[in-house]
Amino acid sequence: MAETITEKILARASGKAKVTPGEYLTVRSNCPIIFGHHSFDTFMDRGLHTIPRLGVRVFDPSKVIIVDGHGGASSGSNIADVRWAAQKWAREVGIPLENVINLGRGGIENMMSAERAWALPGETFFQGCNGHLSTVGALGAFPCALSHGSGAYLMKGTTWVRVPVSVKIVLKGRMPPKGVYARDVFEYVLQQIGPMGGMSGVLEWCGPVVDEMSMDERFSLCSSAIFTGAWTAIMNPDEKTIAHVKAATKTPFEPMRSDPGAEYAKVYEFDVSKLEPLIVPHPKRHIVKSVRELEGTKINRGFIGSDSGGWFEHMALAARILKGRKLPPDVILNITPGTVGILLRMMETDILRTFVEAGCCVPDPNEGQEAGLNTLLCAGEVCVASAQTNYPGRMGSRDAEIHLANSATVAASSLEGCITDPRKYL
Amino acid sequence: MSGSAKMQPLRGDAWVFPGLMDIDYDICSYNLVRDLRADTAEALGPYCMVNVDPDFPKKVKKGDFIVAEENMGYGHDHDHACLALIGAGVGGILCESAAPYFLRNSLEHGLPVVELPGVFKTVSQGDPLEIDLATGTFRNVRTGAQLSFTPPPDFILEMIAAGGVYPMLTRMAEEGRLPKRV
Repeated sequence: MAETITEKILARASGKAKVTPGEYLTVRSNCPIIFGHHSFDTFMDRGLHTIPRLGVRVFDPSKVIIVDGHGGASSGSNIADVRWAAQKWAREVGIPLENVINLGRGGIENMMSAERAWALPGETFFQGCNGHLSTVGALGAFPCALSHGSGAYLMKGTTWVRVPVSVKIVLKGRMPPKGVYARDVFEYVLQQIGPMGGMSGVLEWCGPVVDEMSMDERFSLCSSAIFTGAWTAIMNPDEKTIAHVKAATKTPFEPMRSDPGAEYAKVYEFDVSKLEPLIVPHPKRHIVKSVRELEGTKINRGFIGSDSGGWFEHMALAARILKGRKLPPDVILNITPGTVGILLRMMETDILRTFVEAGCCVPDPNEGQEAGLNTLLCAGEVCVASAQTNYPGRMGSRDAEIHLANSATVAASSLEGCITDPRKYL
Repeated sequence: MSGSAKMQPLRGDAWVFPGLMDIDYDICSYNLVRDLRADTAEALGPYCMVNVDPDFPKKVKKGDFIVAEENMGYGHDHDHACLALIGAGVGGILCESAAPYFLRNSLEHGLPVVELPGVFKTVSQGDPLEIDLATGTFRNVRTGAQLSFTPPPDFILEMIAAGGVYPMLTRMAEEGRLPKRV
């Protein structure tokens, strides 16, 4: 009987021969569970604090990794409390010190999980709170944030899932030669299938366009699944995936792939050949327009970063546009690499120098402005961002406006002080 | 089975919210919560649904239901909205479909969320409703309309009956059923 990659992974994680959508399972993971240090804020993963209070054991402390991922160096004062709370918790429950990735060594935790292949093909992969964990689905892992249930997982070493339906998205044609990236493909698909199109299931991205994409672009494509109403995202691993994982880790793994003839709740086919740069205007995440429609809208802020737009290729892309140019005096452009690994590659090339010479602000790798944790927006400011979401208040004042677009559009718009189609710079 | 034995049918009036309800803005502002550092249901209740209906926390009665359309709780896996709903006194969510993380977080907080296709057009604002999770039956007391659904498995009924996963685990720890850290 033909199975999807998701069904195969969940069957193995639950010790069953076969599973079907709708079935409830108890599952394990051979991978570590990761937490951004934001999980230790008193209002986030409250269940974590139950563990030291009850004096119970974490099932395997060596399989817990905490990453200083959301705050960074330039955040508000409470970040210090949260960082301290994370380290105190780790000591109390016996997490090895080397598993706590401290400030200066971190980055967005789901991006680090992808970069370092903490998530492995063929495995379930869990995190505390982060709906964008779907990013690591590009490795052929089944990613699921446990959020409020993460403490329960730590006590038991298992969690529950209801086997999701799979929604197959086949991308055909060829990517346009310039100005259009994985982010635009995602927004186009969101525009076509709508915010319920994901059917509470897992988006399985495939087709020749995905095959051609770099790992950076695949991670970006998987990162935003929740905005289609999907639970998470996945891709079938290929040679590129396996090479990425083997370069990052020596841990053995067993990749899974969907069988031909596997059942899907829905199969969509889209041709990307004629796409143009897209934008998600303030303030609704599910309304998508073309950059052309908003061209000329004044902005005074830009942000390039996040698990959607903060990968190395997005840095290189922004650098191509910004090289030899200067930002206008009244525009601030925050460019935040997603991980220390990406920052190092920016230093090995001339990308970092290009950004600094152009007048950009380059914080240490972290979530940062994406989640309103640094370089906040005040009332009246208008930002174009390669970030994940744009509801009022996401980056500070609820009276600021956030438009979401690809990193090239952000760079070009920041140079011109208004929303700009990036293709003329490429 | 213990869970279903403890679960009595839930009764309350309907609060109907049409459209896509975003977890981070419509149900409860995430950034407001973060700024307030509010971390209990009691503290968050007064901010429940206020971006859609400013007086909702004052008007809703304990045990009332929210009736919503598709993808209730759209967006992130943040669970503050579940606490806000509990704090406001909401006794359950009946919706055409729920965002997967919202569903999961709510159940783990002990807040029943039932995906019940057809419910939205079966219910008007203020209708008295009755729902039995253990038998999978729903009734609009005003109109007599009924719908049925597959009841959640026992472990979820037990989690709801206990008031969430941590009250359940706390009891297990107190009974010596979880290994202690040495």
